[in-house]
Amino acid sequence: MEKILHGRKVVGGKAKGVALVTGEPICFLGGIDVKTGTVTEVGHPLYGQCIAGKVLVFPTGKGSTGGSYLIYEAVNNGVGPCAMINRAVEQVTVIGCIISEIPMLDRLDSDPVTAIKTGDVVEVNADEGTLKVVSA
Amino acid sequence: MQLTREEEEMLAGKSGYPVQKSMEILVQLGEIYDAKKMIPVSNVHMPGSSVVVAGEAGTKFVEKMAGLDGKFCAMTTLNSGAVNFDDWREVGYPEETFLLQTRLTNAYQAMGAIPCHTCTPYLIGNCPRKGEHVAWGESSAIAFANSVLGARTNREGGPSALAAALTGRVPEYGYHLSENRLGQIRVDVSTQLSGVDEFGALGYWVGTRAGSKVPVFTGITSVSADEIKTLGAGLASSGAVALYHIAGITPEAPTCDAAFGGRKPGEVFEFSKKELAEAKTSLNKHEGQEISVVCIGCPHASITEIEEIAAGLAGKKVKSHVEFWITTALPIRSLAERCGYAKVIEAAGGRFVIDTCPILSPMAEVAKKKGYTGLATNSSKLAHYAPGQWALPTYYGSLQACLTAAVTGKFGER
Repeated sequence: MEKILHGRKVVGGKAKGVALVTGEPICFLGGIDVKTGTVTEVGHPLYGQCIAGKVLVFPTGKGSTGGSYLIYEAVNNGVGPCAMINRAVEQVTVIGCIISEIPMLDRLDSDPVTAIKTGDVVEVNADEGTLKVVSA
Repeated sequence: MQLTREEEEMLAGKSGYPVQKSMEILVQLGEIYDAKKMIPVSNVHMPGSSVVVAGEAGTKFVEKMAGLDGKFCAMTTLNSGAVNFDDWREVGYPEETFLLQTRLTNAYQAMGAIPCHTCTPYLIGNCPRKGEHVAWGESSAIAFANSVLGARTNREGGPSALAAALTGRVPEYGYHLSENRLGQIRVDVSTQLSGVDEFGALGYWVGTRAGSKVPVFTGITSVSADEIKTLGAGLASSGAVALYHIAGITPEAPTCDAAFGGRKPGEVFEFSKKELAEAKTSLNKHEGQEISVVCIGCPHASITEIEEIAAGLAGKKVKSHVEFWITTALPIRSLAERCGYAKVIEAAGGRFVIDTCPILSPMAEVAKKKGYTGLATNSSKLAHYAPGQWALPTYYGSLQACLTAAVTGKFGER
């Protein structure tokens, strides 16, 4: 069952990976261990899961402005997500994606947090503003 | 985006790589947010000043800019670092963190930064005026600058604040524009709040619901400088709030209507005794009460908070296995020494930790090395981050409750 969502390019690029989806905002300081890619925020629905290589789907960023460099550090440690999909982007996460060259989309034509499920294989073409769910 | 001739030249590389790369980042950011032009900034507070955030990769990025003769053209203060430079060994920070932090601080300083390493630059002389466009990082300081001072900043991350310092520009969008500074949701506070912990709890509770919207508070008739500092810190931890208004108190909210610019609030919440209790409970995530560290000063302690701690600890002793930390800025500690507060606090067994903070330093490693079992604080920001950052049970309460915990070794005892 193939599904295509259209959105806005925030940071260009292409990626394919397994989706990791949450309805809660993410903070990269204290929220993610950038050495392992594990979510460490106590009480977060993704607690204990790993973001490495995933298409990370979440509503928006929150919290510390340290997040931008932490995304960069995660990517340099080889445990960054391969793409980020937001309902509406927040600046700290955007800047992290810009310097880490992580493809990023927002403002999709259906709510990504419900339209995409954890475990879906998705193809992101941020240059064209599209996201394809290739297998669920 | 419409760039001036000078900005076009910066982008073309006429002022060297650091300025060119910076302008590229700012233009990309400006295009994402539909900015029409750049605006000049002459004041930056630099997030990504700690190697816990910048890491090896970020440190190399900053070093590259410094190595290629990058020079800051805006006054730039550094946010908290990852170690206290004076006695990091004593606190238990790893040597590798000290060494990496020294590299990062030196690189920023070579470009012209003031190495004050504090999250409260507004307490030590970086105090932008109302309406001034600035580029600030550190979520709690952003909330203070926008809301309490009436300055205008977006939530700058490390690389964008660095780019602003190197070019003296930011793209004009978000909180730089008057129309985005109006209230969006209203919070009616119907219970009397007092103390850093209660205002912090209010911030924490509202931040979860506000996300990145602009809250307007009604019903707050008085709030101290320390309380307002912690309100913003809470709002910016559980949410991404960069600006809030308190009707009748903060500069852009002479009245509630003025804060909304005549528009209606999108949502209205009540914060009563019940919500206050709910917020406090949600910050105490753990059962049990054994503590081994008490941290006051998140955001960095002011001289009035230190005065209060000195009064509370005078003639008492911190329990032998308990660490009592006051995190603050170097100039505030000097002032505490001159006032005699430092002597009283140190005689009781307390410790001043400057240049860093309990969130931006490698506390999980320190806690493991020192065998810490629990943390108590009056900061909702720290209570929010500590379970993830320290991997320790965290208890949250008033300054008095924290002082008692320091003396007894247990949180919640009388």
